[in-house]
Amino acid sequence: MTESRRQGALGLALVLPPLCLLFFLVVVPAVTAVVETLAPGPGGSAGLTVARYAEVLSAKVIRTDIAFSVVVTLISVAAVFVLGYPLALYLRFSPGRLASLLAVVFTIPLFVPVVIASFAMITFLVNHGLVSTVLYRLGIETFPPLVYNATGIVLTEVWASLPFAVLILGAGLQAIDDSLIDSARDVGAGRVRTFATIILPLNAIPTRITLTLLFISVFGSFTIPYLVGGNAPQMLGVTMTNYLTQYLRRTDAVTMAVLAFVIAAAVGVVYVASVSRRERDV
Amino acid sequence: MGRSVRRRWIVMASVMIVAVCLVGFQGANPARAAGVVTLNLYIGGDTNIFDLWKKAFLPAFTKRYPQYKANMVELLHDNGSEGIYAKILAAKRTGRTVDVDLWETTPGFLDQGIAEGLWVKLSPKLVSNVTKVPAPTLEAVDYYGLPYRGSSVVIGYNSQFIKNPPQTFDDLVAWIKANPGKFTYCDPNTCGSGTAFVTAAIYRYTSAEKFAAKAYDTKDEAAWAPGWKLLKELQPAMYNNGFHPNGNVAVLQLLAQQNIWMASVWSDMGLDWYSRGQLPKTMRFIQITPPLMGDDSRVMVPAGSAHLEGALTLLNWLLTPEAQTMVIDVVAGYPGIDWKYMPESVRQKFIDVAKAFAPWPNPKYLADIKRLWHEQVVGG
Repeated sequence: MTESRRQGALGLALVLPPLCLLFFLVVVPAVTAVVETLAPGPGGSAGLTVARYAEVLSAKVIRTDIAFSVVVTLISVAAVFVLGYPLALYLRFSPGRLASLLAVVFTIPLFVPVVIASFAMITFLVNHGLVSTVLYRLGIETFPPLVYNATGIVLTEVWASLPFAVLILGAGLQAIDDSLIDSARDVGAGRVRTFATIILPLNAIPTRITLTLLFISVFGSFTIPYLVGGNAPQMLGVTMTNYLTQYLRRTDAVTMAVLAFVIAAAVGVVYVASVSRRERDV
Repeated sequence: MGRSVRRRWIVMASVMIVAVCLVGFQGANPARAAGVVTLNLYIGGDTNIFDLWKKAFLPAFTKRYPQYKANMVELLHDNGSEGIYAKILAAKRTGRTVDVDLWETTPGFLDQGIAEGLWVKLSPKLVSNVTKVPAPTLEAVDYYGLPYRGSSVVIGYNSQFIKNPPQTFDDLVAWIKANPGKFTYCDPNTCGSGTAFVTAAIYRYTSAEKFAAKAYDTKDEAAWAPGWKLLKELQPAMYNNGFHPNGNVAVLQLLAQQNIWMASVWSDMGLDWYSRGQLPKTMRFIQITPPLMGDDSRVMVPAGSAHLEGALTLLNWLLTPEAQTMVIDVVAGYPGIDWKYMPESVRQKFIDVAKAFAPWPNPKYLADIKRLWHEQVVGG
């Protein structure tokens, strides 16, 4: 009894520092922010008001930036998924030296800081850069600009997020029992059939976790859109920073942060549901 | 067991010895340096400013005045300035001296410090050379900060393509419209040279002085409407159909690659790049009428400085033609003293850019200009 109580106390002591961190650095500021944006301004009546949200959303620039952030994020996540899933499948099911070499090569972006990656992408994609030179040599003289716009942001986000997606998807695929796939083949299922009826459903939870985490990280990114994006529209991370540090409109920035949080939280619900389901299954 | 204890003793003893040595040396330093006073300088800025102090000013000053030594602390991009301010303020409130003898920092700290009475008020009695400084720049800060160098935004153009550069702001606008894709300015959120072009468009239809003053009223911003209209009109004629790069350096790179032929640039950065061969040989710089914005960089001496006499001697020396020529040679800045005190050769070199410059809008208007530029010119 005393032993288990001591264990409980030890567990609590170990959990306490991260819990404090979470409480004081995440929960408290978040609650303060929400309260701040809902409080009536000086001279206003008591109670809560959504006037600030109405004001922020009445600006066309901000509405455009929010829509732009969501669209860019969705396209980036879709592109990462389309590119990452086949790679993860290949690494899981193809033995051989090439696969193990690829398994090392594709993780490289994980070790490159995003600032450096962004500048590399700029030199790579900009007018007179490598890509435009190659296209020009191939006889393609007019093509849309590849950087300082949504295209540039998507390309860089995909480059930076791909290894992460492949790692999580791959971990899910590793957990699938080979015998299940072998038996599917034994009864005559082709590759596509095996993928659609065995692999995809069994890997559904890691897939959902990957998609939600990707969405949240791309949606909240700052460095890539700041360096690779254009003047307007901008992604919310950049917009909020401008409102805070350049336009000296702190409350507007906080209001946008709450809106961004709501969007990310809606996606987060999917993640939490997936994780808790996995816990139950285990 | 006994061995490990003994080893621990040896480790502890050596740590103690090292610690005693360190403390001892620190204590010994001032005593050994008796007779020579060490001035503590805190310099905020970029690496070019550090070089100006470290490699030009301080060797020349200590050679001229061997009774002083200088200990310079570099605050890159003014990081850590909050701490320096707090230190000076704390010393003032407790009535002690402070080991900050001279500080170069952003206008915000200068302003805050004036309200707290932190700085020495300059006068010809304390620093005889201040009489050479144009009076308005000293009056702007009530004689509390010494404007020892300046720079302004100018128009940089490639004379290979442009034979008759624009002389006025209206000329510039006409040139941009006539040569689409060959001009741009950087996003005002990221640099001052872009802000200068934007404010020039705004000042074109209203007065610069009004928005530089301390009073702030958003109603007055209605006067900016024609400026926004003009800038919006110019967008299709900008580089890449209206692209504004991030930062001063990005604009200089576009000029270097000859992607554009003309841009608004900081005089000191432009001349520095030019003199290091990073811009085409045919690059020229010119100030238009009315002039674009500019800025003076100031140093302050805390009233509680422990070596007041030395600090004031240094200030006075900074205003000699010898030091002021270094400003021009090392960072291609403008002298803090009136041009008439500068050598003739220097005056000739700067004849195209050495005009007065327009004042910055006050910080609140500046913030609104940046936001509205984003809303009215590139967004929406």
